[in-house]
Amino acid sequence: MRAALAAAVLGAFTVAQAQDKPAASPPPSWQQGKPTGMSESTLHPFAIEMTGKAAKDLPVDKLKVPAGFKVEVWAEGMPGARTMAQGDKGTVFVGTRQLTEVYAVTDKGGKREAKVLLKGLDAPNGLVFSKGTLFVAERGRITRYDGIENNLDNPPQPQVIVDNLDPNKQPGHFWKFLALGPDGKLYFNIGAPGNIVMPTYMEASVMRVDMKGMLETVAQGVRNSVGMDFNPKTKELWFTNHGRDWLGDNSPNDTLHRVSHKGMNFGYPYCHQGDTPDPEFGKHRSCKEFDKPVLKLGAHVAPIGMRFYSGKMFPAEYQNNIFIALRGSWNRTEKQGYNVMRVVLDDSGKVKKYEPFLTGFLLDAKADPPMWGRPNDVMVMKDGSMLVSDDQNGIIYRITYAK
Amino acid sequence: MRFAACAAALVLAGAAAAADPKAGEAKAAVCAACHGEGGNSTNPAVPSIAAQPAQFLSTALYMFRAGSRQDPQMSPMAKPLSNTEMNDLAAYFAAQKPAPPAHKTSAENAKQGPELARKFHCTQCHGPQLLGQQQMPRLAGQQYDYLRAQLRGFRDGKRGDLDGKMSESAQGLSDTDINVLADYMAGLGG
Repeated sequence: MRAALAAAVLGAFTVAQAQDKPAASPPPSWQQGKPTGMSESTLHPFAIEMTGKAAKDLPVDKLKVPAGFKVEVWAEGMPGARTMAQGDKGTVFVGTRQLTEVYAVTDKGGKREAKVLLKGLDAPNGLVFSKGTLFVAERGRITRYDGIENNLDNPPQPQVIVDNLDPNKQPGHFWKFLALGPDGKLYFNIGAPGNIVMPTYMEASVMRVDMKGMLETVAQGVRNSVGMDFNPKTKELWFTNHGRDWLGDNSPNDTLHRVSHKGMNFGYPYCHQGDTPDPEFGKHRSCKEFDKPVLKLGAHVAPIGMRFYSGKMFPAEYQNNIFIALRGSWNRTEKQGYNVMRVVLDDSGKVKKYEPFLTGFLLDAKADPPMWGRPNDVMVMKDGSMLVSDDQNGIIYRITYAK
Repeated sequence: MRFAACAAALVLAGAAAAADPKAGEAKAAVCAACHGEGGNSTNPAVPSIAAQPAQFLSTALYMFRAGSRQDPQMSPMAKPLSNTEMNDLAAYFAAQKPAPPAHKTSAENAKQGPELARKFHCTQCHGPQLLGQQQMPRLAGQQYDYLRAQLRGFRDGKRGDLDGKMSESAQGLSDTDINVLADYMAGLGG
């Protein structure tokens, strides 16, 4: 009635508008959950360079590592490079999320050659290599490519392990990380379908699947985990998790989690960072009923790849440290993150230290964009050096240590 | 064939060449035939690409080549381009000066436009003056018919979208809203 009245007052043009106005539609998923007080916010997600960028055009000399370490460009020309996995013969496989490619990078006498290995996949973000087989997690399925390293020029057709993992096709967090457990099962995430929404029974979880395709839920209440690894000492699963957006510059933290038993619930959408009830979903629940993270990583820093270090190149105090690539932040007035972080644990698995390891991507915390590159995944090579992928530019850096 | 492996083994450049606007200029003559001198279009259906953010331009070319955005004229133009050529062209057109808009916004749409642009989150990504940034195009002074066609395409799920954010943002736009926004944006200088 009010609309009709206003239309009559404002004249013919507005009347036409009122007539063809469709019913109010929900806000875009990345805006969803934004309080009305922030309606004038100019914070926005960043996008990768779909055609990649040349290291020559970038301030790669700004990258810093601790004394004794060295960081250099290892390979470039792989737009959207994200998750990495190394084959038995040394090939580095590289997955993407916004593109459809999986790359293979081979070392040709000190020079790296990158080529498109697979093409036309649906967000092939998750990669695991084991015993000659490359496993690929796409948006909706997990497949295997047997004997692939012997057939880099003519890869085999994939065999499907499990399909239909994304029946709802929501715009939210559909890309998957993949990790191989000591039990021989493949672990992966099914992200929440939006910023802050009630997930269905399979969403906002960490799941695992055996080679026959039998699925199990490992952990629930996980908004989106795109980094997982198994502690080489205890064989427990650890993972990073992305907290929700639009709760302010310093809330909530993104988090690091330890899975001590199957069936843990880390609280999404009711409770964030183990101690902060959601303003909407948390009204009638208590954070006490949920499992807690082992570490708060910073607000909106977007942790992606995380790996335990068990290589032989870095000094002894780096053994069993966790390295975490922070790909954000964007949902914060002054930006932070964009580093590879180091987490030191004591013998019981408690966090002793959390500090930057690779820095220099963040140029100006107040600028838009604030960074020139975004670390995405970390991977320990067979020689103990570490690769860091940068999906913003399609570049992989290598970190080495020499006394 | 969706999962066809790339048997032809497209070998990527070992070290990517730096984006070179001079090299872009040499390849840009064919673009000017439709997009106008220096990328300033005079055809209401063809977008101006002068002074667009380089990342938006390279992304658009990528999408035309990949087939995630389709157009009878542009798709075949983008097909043979390498990533380096796309980056060169993007660097060249991003550096060109935008011509003052020929379009005149109606008085009532000049008032309504900014309200709608806020309501539908346009300014959040495209900037307060709608000049574009990063992957988000400059909308100020863009061609009227082109703007209308894109907004309708996003709303109706017929326009290729990098990450779905524009399609989501365009949901709820009426045909009238689209006309108002296009009329407002097409007349914006800056």
